[in-house]
Amino acid sequence: MSDYAVGDALPELHIASVSAEAMKVMAVILDDPNIIHLDAEAVKALGLGDRVINQGPSNSGYVMNMLLDAFPGGRITSFGARFLSNVLGGDAVTASGRVDGMERSDGGTLVHCTAWLTVDPDRRALEATATVLIPS
Amino acid sequence: MTLEGYERIVGAPLVPGSIVIPLAERDELASVLGRPAPAGETELHPLHAYIAMQRGIGSSIADLCAFADFDIDDGPLMGSLQVDIHQPLHAEVEYRVEGEVVDLVRKSGKRMTFDLFTYRERLIAPDGTDAATATNSFVLPRKEQE
Repeated sequence: MSDYAVGDALPELHIASVSAEAMKVMAVILDDPNIIHLDAEAVKALGLGDRVINQGPSNSGYVMNMLLDAFPGGRITSFGARFLSNVLGGDAVTASGRVDGMERSDGGTLVHCTAWLTVDPDRRALEATATVLIPS
Repeated sequence: MTLEGYERIVGAPLVPGSIVIPLAERDELASVLGRPAPAGETELHPLHAYIAMQRGIGSSIADLCAFADFDIDDGPLMGSLQVDIHQPLHAEVEYRVEGEVVDLVRKSGKRMTFDLFTYRERLIAPDGTDAATATNSFVLPRKEQE
């Protein structure tokens, strides 16, 4: 079983500064040439801000890592995210979550969680639901 | 409700493709996300389920935007993703990818009008089973009311 109970908060994951250089690597990994991740001037021209915009999948990845840290040995079997606002290069972000439910399955315990990514101080960049399988 | 004039794209297949994630890329992603990948294993980060489908499908992001007559240079944004991972995914394994368009819907917010383009993908393991499935959406900002 999990070390957590329903309603428990999960340990937060903090990232002090989202790297614009990492966005360039992620653009290659995603095969996504979208200029908003690479060129701050293009972001300005589009009226979307004054710094490069982090890829949504990266924001999801931070939240996934928070879940993987919270459940060592666990495996994320489902992850759904809504992207609410942009994370910009240099932003500090915090991934947080809580346990919403647990159920037994053939392979172990399924832990259902709500999670979110906050841009300092209080703006949410994404909200997610996830299921983590804790092998028995 | 599907945007008028785009009913024809609902259910349109994406170009099928395949992908092998090299082990080195697993480590690159770990570096981007700031969490080392476990040594001595080939299992991929769960985000690679999304990435493998996004990159393995034969339709590029620009191609997806083109379904909605949207230029990728106009800055598509991710609206949502839903990934279900049915089995552990591994580097150095070839997966097939298939998918189709789900819908294109127009939305008007306080700040802008945008179209929500939704599509579905499947990552298929060598034994023919679904390794992962996804339903994702892009927000396509429209510069002015059309």
